[in-house]
Amino acid sequence: MTSDRKPDVTPVGLFDVAGNRMVDAELWDAIAEKNLADWEAEWIPELFKLLQALNRKGVERRFWPQSRHWDWRDKMKAIEGRLANQSFSIVCQDMTQAMMTTDVTKRAQIASQKNDHLVYVDFLEAAPWNRREMTQMPPRFSGAGSILILAAIEQSKMEGFRGRIGLHSLPQANDFYANKVGMTDLGQDAAYQNLRYFEMTPEQAEAFIEKGRKK
Amino acid sequence: MKIEVTKDWCEAMARQEADVEVGAGLIAADPIFNGEAAHDTTFDESRIALGRFVHLMRRRDKLSLEALAERADVDLAELMSIEFDAHYLPESRTLYQLAHTFKVSHKKLMGLSGLTKPKDVQYVEEAVRYAARSESIETLSAEEQAALEGLISVLSEK
Repeated sequence: MTSDRKPDVTPVGLFDVAGNRMVDAELWDAIAEKNLADWEAEWIPELFKLLQALNRKGVERRFWPQSRHWDWRDKMKAIEGRLANQSFSIVCQDMTQAMMTTDVTKRAQIASQKNDHLVYVDFLEAAPWNRREMTQMPPRFSGAGSILILAAIEQSKMEGFRGRIGLHSLPQANDFYANKVGMTDLGQDAAYQNLRYFEMTPEQAEAFIEKGRKK
Repeated sequence: MKIEVTKDWCEAMARQEADVEVGAGLIAADPIFNGEAAHDTTFDESRIALGRFVHLMRRRDKLSLEALAERADVDLAELMSIEFDAHYLPESRTLYQLAHTFKVSHKKLMGLSGLTKPKDVQYVEEAVRYAARSESIETLSAEEQAALEGLISVLSEK
């Protein structure tokens, strides 16, 4: 299920929104048992509380977070032992703040890089308390999404794919991938539950990295 | 695999990310609490009726989710999924426990859930109709009470 290997740790930082300050965090190049335990013991109960609140407010189900069913333990079981898949997690204050899995078997669709290899982001999710759409409140920590996208880009470079990545965005996150990350929106994909497919070229990858260097 | 990144980069990107969502990935392609891998929309309406039935009965009996889970001896997370999520395919045992608790037909709850294919679809259609008449508010209104009585009637052993 999860690798016994101790994950490589990259020191990163997340923005503590309430405290208006950066806090130390770690990017792990794995989803370890600790991350899955956090998901089960902390994410799920928090998610249910939020769903209950949405329901009591009369919010229609179609507006509930689409990732509410994701079972990260099953996701990890599904890719166990597969060399084509990689997982990442972000830990801050001894708690998992976001997780991602990637796949290197997919090919690019943008004309300029058609059929070239890329790193496909299978799943990316932030902890419930880091999601404005669920709490209708400012997130506890922000920045995990960008760090995970950077990790996917770096994985792509290491694989020789020059930073090319692709993903299907959840509807609430289209704005992030189109406008903040700067990926190309290839529109709704009927083969993928009509989610919008976004792809990044090597040039867009460099622009994304450069964006964080500008003060 | 370690990556090259500075705290300044993290801060610059975090500040622009604070007001957006970041999730990506197929919604229903994974096995969801052991139930949704092959999501069949055929049963969405009847599962909504099942969820509404459990919800209304719980409120009629003034039970919290936790209290009903304890009384029926079912898992709290599964109970919440049944009430709130029409995609969720419940466990057979859970439906048996709920049918026993609410004194309705286990077979009919199985039919509503999609775990079995009911020969008589009329009660399913009626249950869906009754469920559609109820709305979620704190106390049962007269209309909800009537809808619930209708649901009990069609889901009881005859």
